[in-house]
Amino acid sequence: MRPQASAAANDGTAAATGRGNGLDAEAAREGAMEGVLIAAGEVGYREASVRAILEHSGGHRAQFYEHFQSKEDCFAQAYAAWIERLYVSLLEAATTVPGWEAGVRAAIVRLFEFVTRRPQIGRALFVEVQIAGEPALARHEATVERLALAIDSAREGIPPELAPPEATGTFVVGGVESCVCEALSAGDPDRIWDTLPELMHFAAGSYFGKEEAEAAFERASIFLERERARLTGAEE
Amino acid sequence: MTDLRLIASAPELAPAGAGTATAVRLPPGRHGLPADLVRSHQRLRLLEAAAAALAEQGYGRITGARVTELAGVSSRTFYQHFEDLWACLLAAYETEAGHLCVEIEGACAAAGDERRTRARAGIGAALSFLAAEPTVARLLSAEPPPQVTSLAEARRDLAERLGEMLRGVLTSRDATPLPGLERRLIGAALALVSARSASGDAQRLRALEPELSELLLATL
Repeated sequence: MRPQASAAANDGTAAATGRGNGLDAEAAREGAMEGVLIAAGEVGYREASVRAILEHSGGHRAQFYEHFQSKEDCFAQAYAAWIERLYVSLLEAATTVPGWEAGVRAAIVRLFEFVTRRPQIGRALFVEVQIAGEPALARHEATVERLALAIDSAREGIPPELAPPEATGTFVVGGVESCVCEALSAGDPDRIWDTLPELMHFAAGSYFGKEEAEAAFERASIFLERERARLTGAEE
Repeated sequence: MTDLRLIASAPELAPAGAGTATAVRLPPGRHGLPADLVRSHQRLRLLEAAAAALAEQGYGRITGARVTELAGVSSRTFYQHFEDLWACLLAAYETEAGHLCVEIEGACAAAGDERRTRARAGIGAALSFLAAEPTVARLLSAEPPPQVTSLAEARRDLAERLGEMLRGVLTSRDATPLPGLERRLIGAALALVSARSASGDAQRLRALEPELSELLLATL
């Protein structure tokens, strides 16, 4: 059950969907990029053929090769475009609420909304990129580092003598991502909502220690309960 | 791979042709070696070659042909040992996951009774093992295709086992660790190892010990 109503407009990841033969060039390119991610998320990167991509995007093989050299090239371009949109969307969510903890929680909620609404694309961005390898994997690592840098703003409130290890940001982003991968690989993305409190415990604990971790866990549990109650009320 | 290095270093065995694997072939022709020994040597070469091919090509491009080429065996020999590429990778994964756990358990047991000292010894042993074998680091930490369920399960099993070890070393009677937290911690640690080994940085894994220990022990 999702704690917040998802809205395509506010996650910044909505892309043009090109179908049919009368596509202009950019819509066809955008459609194929969405198609390769959906196909990779559905059948796996190794099995995602150009034919499978075109089944999702529409258009012709010749049109596909006007934009991309190969499936690999299409995946790499699609990955770069979509992960950038998601990155911007997560930062936007984090910066619209006050405080580090609320910001991290808002970004995780935004991420969960995305992967539960677009599980195939989520699977392509977080799981299949590991199979695809370079150059998409290099883009993935660069995005992890940028997110790690953003989450590292937690250091501003920590005295130097208590500063956590240098790799903390990367470690926290890796833990959140492994949680997403686990839910997506199991084919049950909705169950990911249950992990919000433990992820907040993990993130806050990595920077601030056990007491802050437990407090962040409690606050995330209350947040989740309140949002679920709100949604249940709205449904009734 | 720990076992294979012993074989590869035997002076009477010549190295295989070009390739990234260190597997060596037995001398061709009549060598009088027992058939069981030949077979077991072929299998070990295939396991090492599978890890080397994965490090070289990744899960997206790895092929059985590259594994047999690196192992210096024919495809017929390959299929005498394994049903397909994934079965070979699974055997390599399970073998090396077993070696990793033995290293950790040995280091923890030798480190005495103090819980955090034991945990740090286990983390250090794991990183040293992976740093010494970059292809194994890649094999054990990389996310396999979820469609290959046997490999995905093997990776989950390893993560569970490492999580249990972490919890087993650290849990005291008065502590009630958060259910699932050690899975997040192990997932984060594997992601860190995977990123470093994918970027050819496996040798620097050993230097990660103080940081990783602090991160893994911060909230437990």
